[in-house]
Amino acid sequence: MNTTSFPTDRSGKQIDVVAMLERYGLLAFCAVLVLLTASISPAFRSPTNLQNVLTNVAPLAIVVLGQCMVILVRGFDLSVSSVMATAAVIATQFESAGAMAFPLTLLATLIMSLIIGLANGFLVTKRGMSPFLATLATMIVLQGLRFAWTRGAPSGRVPPEIQVIGAGQFYGVPVNLVVLAVLALIVWITLAKTPFGRRVYMVGGGPRAAELVGVNVDRIVIACYVASAVLAGIGGLVLVGYVSGVDNWVGRGYELDSIVAAVMGGVALSGGRGSVLGGILGAFLLTVIFNIVLLLGFPVQLQFVVKGLIIILAMAVYRVGGEIR
Amino acid sequence: MIAYLRRNPALLGVLGLIVLLAVIGCIFSADFRSIQNLQNIFEQSAPLAFTALGQTVVIITRGIDLSIDAQIALLSSVASGVIDSDPQRALPVVIGVLAAGAFIGLITGALIVALRIHALIVTLGMAAVLQGLALLYTLTPVGGIPDGYDFFAYGRVLGVPVGMALAVVLFAVVGFVLAYTRLGRQIFAFGGDPHAATMVGLPTTRVILFTYCLMGFLTAITSVFLVSRLGVGNPVADGGFNLGSITAVVIGGTMLTGGRGSVLGTLLGVFMVQLLNNLLNFLDVSTFYQWMIQGAVVIAAVSLFVERRRTTA
Repeated sequence: MNTTSFPTDRSGKQIDVVAMLERYGLLAFCAVLVLLTASISPAFRSPTNLQNVLTNVAPLAIVVLGQCMVILVRGFDLSVSSVMATAAVIATQFESAGAMAFPLTLLATLIMSLIIGLANGFLVTKRGMSPFLATLATMIVLQGLRFAWTRGAPSGRVPPEIQVIGAGQFYGVPVNLVVLAVLALIVWITLAKTPFGRRVYMVGGGPRAAELVGVNVDRIVIACYVASAVLAGIGGLVLVGYVSGVDNWVGRGYELDSIVAAVMGGVALSGGRGSVLGGILGAFLLTVIFNIVLLLGFPVQLQFVVKGLIIILAMAVYRVGGEIR
Repeated sequence: MIAYLRRNPALLGVLGLIVLLAVIGCIFSADFRSIQNLQNIFEQSAPLAFTALGQTVVIITRGIDLSIDAQIALLSSVASGVIDSDPQRALPVVIGVLAAGAFIGLITGALIVALRIHALIVTLGMAAVLQGLALLYTLTPVGGIPDGYDFFAYGRVLGVPVGMALAVVLFAVVGFVLAYTRLGRQIFAFGGDPHAATMVGLPTTRVILFTYCLMGFLTAITSVFLVSRLGVGNPVADGGFNLGSITAVVIGGTMLTGGRGSVLGTLLGVFMVQLLNNLLNFLDVSTFYQWMIQGAVVIAAVSLFVERRRTTA
């Protein structure tokens, strides 16, 4: 649909502008939005608020990392919110273990995430289910398990280490931002610099062709779903450390928000195109939008309207998603 | 009929599951095997049937609509708020709501066409806008419907619930349009390969506009039905129609990748989902385990029967 999809148009200066817009448009939009808001609202540019935004960004961005990987291989993962909530519930289950609570939480979360990721990957590849239904089904099953386990009313305290990770600060830098940076670096290097990463893009670009040149497509896809589930588990722990109270719906809405963030960041839903850095930018933009509508003092209800309009506007002006149609 | 089913193994799978569920129900629960209960299942199926019908056409064109729940929240609260139990206002308001639904759908379609943004993003954005408008209108359920106007939800024509009868008629009409008219062929052609459809000069804009307009109209019917059933519209209701309708569509054998699908499959998918819910309620299964079973059944239905044909087709 976009002009760039016609090979004959690939020469000439005009296309470069389009490519530039596609590449940096969202960044520019982000910058303009932030500067504009900062000039209007003193509350927005206060250090406390900026810190607040940065602390808020991490859980979503961590989930987006995994979501990007799955979208790159032509899938998407709706089960992330359920994995997050389950990780949050797990974090409260080891209160009696004292100092061992933290490592036990990590271990249990990792195991749970691995199982869900493998289940998603297996259903999508070996059973040929559409990613939408496969991950929707695991989401619902996990939700049922969680509610049955907690009898609908989870309680208990989160280990102090997780509270530090979620809400702590290190010389003014939110700890969860450091966690995000480390994870983002790992995922980015894996995707951009390793043979595995190249195979991910190959599978996303054309699974059939990838198979013909000897890539084990199923294994790559399963690995992406596992990565998404593990990252969602970590995201859930970070989020529950931040809100520090637990309920059965921690992370609700993150499944769609993470997909929107990834797509806004230029990751094509048709697979094989995009980078996790774009995804993180999308997560940042989404968080800033939430923050801005909050701070500009609109009535609470109007926030929804503004959020929706800005999402559409952000996509429309720069057509980052123009390629995915 | 046999040949038709052979060409659509998905339908066979869903039919098999429906029979299986019905047999299990009849064996284990006396309340389940009554005509009364069958009527109840039909009655409960209507709203999901309306939305899933629209979603089927949208998905055939490679789209998706995630603004259904928000649109229902807006239209149903406005409907009951404006009618405010006044019998004189009921009819004009219902007509207005239906028109508004179609108009909202047109806006969604126009945004998708004009801005070239993926439907997922547009409808999520629309959902936020519509939800916000609903909450701006009212924060709590307001108004009501005049006496007798719950006929749409609870009435029976020759023993058949009115809502479901209407749903079946609408399914037949849309099924006819898809199968036997030029517009229907254009919808399938566009879903099969949008690029090729544009290249050969199909009126793609018109196809998209029609698709989302129909979706909005059917969502409006759902809103009116829900107001009729509950007596009032709820601005914060989340009926789960976004994901519910997509689930019914996909269980019915319509591919999310577009270009293929049938409304008959969707109707069976809707019925299967409702049958399962009904059965689990009669068997006294707690909500928590109901979720797990529903998830498992979706996995079973799709991975065992439906998407197998990917390898054969």
